[in-house]
Amino acid sequence: MSPDRSRVIPSGGPVGPEVEEPSSSRGTDAPNGSDDGTVLQKRVDRRRALGILIGGMAAATQAVSACAPLSAMTDDEREVKLLAWREYIKGNYHFMTDVERADTIARLERLAKLKRGADVTIQSTGAQPGVMFGYAFNISKCQGFRSCVEACINENNLDRRAATQYIRIFEMEDGVIDLDHADATFQHEVPAEGHFYMGTQCFQCADPPCVKVCPVGATWQEPDGITVVDYDWCIGCRYCMAACPYWARRFNWSAPEVPLAELNPVQHYLGNRERKVGVVEKCTFCIHRSRQGRLPACVEACPTGARVFGNLLDPNSEIRWVLANKRVFRLKEDLKTEPRFWYFTD
Amino acid sequence: MHLKPFALSALHSVTAGGRRYHLWMATLTLIMLVGAYAYSVQLRYGLGVTGMNDHVSWGLYISNFTFLVGLAAAAMMLVLPAYILHDVDFGRAVLMAEAVAVAALVMCLAFVVVDIGNPLGGWHLVPGIGYLNWPRSLLAWDVLVLNGYLALNLAIPFYILYGRFRGRPPEKRKYLPWMYIAVMWAVSIHLVTAFLLAGLPARPFWNTALLGPRFLASAFTAGPAFVILLLAFIRRETRYEISDGAFTKLALITTVAAQINLVMLGSELFYKFYSPTHHGINARYLFVGLDGHHALVPWIWTAIALNAMATIALMIHPLRRNPRWLAGACAVLFVGIWVEKGIGLVVPGFIPSPLGEIVEYTPSAVELGVTAGVWALGMFVLTILVRVALPIELGEARSPYIDEARVAPIVRPRGTRTPAKPVRPVRTR
Amino acid sequence: MMRPRVCATAMCIALMWVNSACGERDRAAADVRTAPGAPATDTARVNAEARVATVDTARNKRLEPGALATVSAAPVTLWKGPGDQPFEVTLRTADPASALARRFGTITMRTALRMRAPNVGQFPCTSCHLGRAMVLADKRVGDAHQNIESVHPVQAGGVCSTCHAPDNVELLTLKSGERATLDHAYRLCAQCHFSQADAWAGGAHGKRLDGWQGRRVLMGCADCHDPHKPALEPRIPFRAPQLKRPRGHDR
Repeated sequence: MSPDRSRVIPSGGPVGPEVEEPSSSRGTDAPNGSDDGTVLQKRVDRRRALGILIGGMAAATQAVSACAPLSAMTDDEREVKLLAWREYIKGNYHFMTDVERADTIARLERLAKLKRGADVTIQSTGAQPGVMFGYAFNISKCQGFRSCVEACINENNLDRRAATQYIRIFEMEDGVIDLDHADATFQHEVPAEGHFYMGTQCFQCADPPCVKVCPVGATWQEPDGITVVDYDWCIGCRYCMAACPYWARRFNWSAPEVPLAELNPVQHYLGNRERKVGVVEKCTFCIHRSRQGRLPACVEACPTGARVFGNLLDPNSEIRWVLANKRVFRLKEDLKTEPRFWYFTD
Repeated sequence: MHLKPFALSALHSVTAGGRRYHLWMATLTLIMLVGAYAYSVQLRYGLGVTGMNDHVSWGLYISNFTFLVGLAAAAMMLVLPAYILHDVDFGRAVLMAEAVAVAALVMCLAFVVVDIGNPLGGWHLVPGIGYLNWPRSLLAWDVLVLNGYLALNLAIPFYILYGRFRGRPPEKRKYLPWMYIAVMWAVSIHLVTAFLLAGLPARPFWNTALLGPRFLASAFTAGPAFVILLLAFIRRETRYEISDGAFTKLALITTVAAQINLVMLGSELFYKFYSPTHHGINARYLFVGLDGHHALVPWIWTAIALNAMATIALMIHPLRRNPRWLAGACAVLFVGIWVEKGIGLVVPGFIPSPLGEIVEYTPSAVELGVTAGVWALGMFVLTILVRVALPIELGEARSPYIDEARVAPIVRPRGTRTPAKPVRPVRTR
Repeated sequence: MMRPRVCATAMCIALMWVNSACGERDRAAADVRTAPGAPATDTARVNAEARVATVDTARNKRLEPGALATVSAAPVTLWKGPGDQPFEVTLRTADPASALARRFGTITMRTALRMRAPNVGQFPCTSCHLGRAMVLADKRVGDAHQNIESVHPVQAGGVCSTCHAPDNVELLTLKSGERATLDHAYRLCAQCHFSQADAWAGGAHGKRLDGWQGRRVLMGCADCHDPHKPALEPRIPFRAPQLKRPRGHDR
């Protein structure tokens, strides 16, 4: 190619040749074909430019590899990288086959062992047929002890650094249930005179607004009514947090930290396994316990027996007895989210 | 065959310029580097380095996103008269407006990327390899319409510019159907973004039918205002001719839209304050403060005052015709709408929380740095697009492979400037 | 031109990636060797391949076994649960496993408000009394019962014999003339607190041990309420401990 073609082409206008122009948009360009002294006006041809780029990249790669030689990685580090890569490219758990689920669980258990030396068991237990979980909360009995919060934090491996808590206990004055004038940050002897206590967490709504809005389908409702999140598929857009009317969802604003000595090794893929920074999480009715027939930690820990849990499809369950025999109500009934969490009084 | 010269010509247009131009680009680059560093901090430590928390889970990033979607949509306001109604006045201005749309869209997408907690998982959104929850999720709709709009706004001007570059004028029958689609698409991108917020019964501040129309009104105020400023700059600094008619009509659009915006604001204020139900508690926080918390009150009232003053100024014909008053009013409107529709819309939706707790929001330094970086990126893209488009439109950049005689420039002779039209004197008495 | 080459490269990269992602599925089925360190029996995958139910039997064994297997409980008389299902009530024993504390993660928390064993004196009467005579075998103990000051049931008379049989404090007298052991104290409590007893049998009052499914064992009245001072004691609520604040803004 002739040198002219290889240069950039400011073709002359139709009227008159290119002359010195006072116009500021043209600047102080030198006329075609000559190199000026300043850097801005230097012209290089394509081949030289390409050569400089490639040479620069090669030199940079050498420098980087000299600083961090790849061959010095231990076997464990290499395995962690490989497992992490496979975890990165996997799909949405909701649509995985059983074999894929087993594989990802094996990888996660192995990663927990390699990274922290933790021996964890991650379940993939599915929903029991004929089970729909329901929950009832007795606002006459709750005394604001927050034992439920303590049990939940330990059972679900919640972030100790950010003090994440799925459960929120509100202290309200007797007379009206008004969350606008409730205090969840109380720290005095309870129960306080003239006040009552009410707890919230994810209500596992039958028509969940959070599931509708997730752009990648990372959150869905399981057949037994628990709304779950695939933490590895979540992109962290937090639209579900905006959509939840009950402030049930939490986001990992920083990398969650659970001391190894406090780590609960009994985990579920959709529940209390270790989460990572930048993803949303929420109460799952202790999916790793409830699917094995056990009570969620909050229900079991409550010293006053204010929490009731069971199978809504079993007519002989305690939750059904409460719904039939006690005056129950739900929060924000008018939003038609149909929460599966009722409040009642003695 | 013409692509390589086109790219080289574009590269030259962008890299060649005077000292002011290089200073501008260098400043933008510096701000972008600051933003990149801030973003690296955010990537390393997580979004906790921003001012957002579980209560106010969307902050400055989504505020800017909401505002900029409106800016992108409004650029299409010029397309309709220009291409479809064959309004000669708008013909020159349309490509600049499309450049604004592209730059605004790039900023929108950038704000979304910096806001999500797991950006490496962005491929989860791609249908086929990921899973896009369409049509249930409004965010999925937004992903589709924004990218589609970006593609339209890149493809159509590219076709036109490339056609002019190679001396073959663009054929109406090829791009006009896409123009029709693009105009409808423009309205839809902003409606989708409005529905994204309005469809959440958990957030009574947004859960109103008026949010979509309010978005459109404020978009058509801020968008043409910005385009007016850009065109005024281009007219003053380059030889590109833009008729007075374009400015007059754009100013009229801005004024009417600003009036509608104020009416809608009044409607919202009445609805939320006449009967103080729980539905209006977020508005109470925003406009008068709640339980001792009033961080946003000065911001919103300043924004409303700015909007009102600018609207009134624009409603006075002599002022609207005066270029300085017009530019000033447009700048003031732009800032006012940015506050009212940005942080004045997104943040109060979260305060108080659905459970009645009040946790206020202050952007952190990292957030401000990233925001500045993204805005600089947008201005950078805008500058590049304008710098590429102008020489082609002026007829100065042409492919070397075409016959020179066929070129039909659309520029007036070099060496002259548009004489400043005499301004009708403002009546002082 | 460059275009075909770029397209070809992009296609190659896309194909490699897709292959590696899809190849997982095929390779997993064929791969017999499990990842090093994985459970010896990859039960989940074996189950899946054999198309058995997804309840993880191997994993179940690793769960902390519920105490239901070991708790001593007696069937409740006269009261039936929802749907007239029978249920059981915990017995007072000195066995720590039924001490009504459970593990949550790595901590153990009391799940009942009272530890009855140290309070009520679960040791047999004969450790103090010689036979049925009110003679203390060990005079150093003093009178072990007089320090119990009852604030309940003041409405019913408020003396020990309101509830306890005069000749044997470990038996409770019922209105019908019958006597109930301390393990079946609910029969006495229900005489006055019949609505609470109804709710207790139904599930709205008191606590159930361990599970929502299967054997239904409820805590007895005295597991939470001290019969001599039944009101719940106030306490300072739990406050979540927080590690050092992370960099940047936080809640």
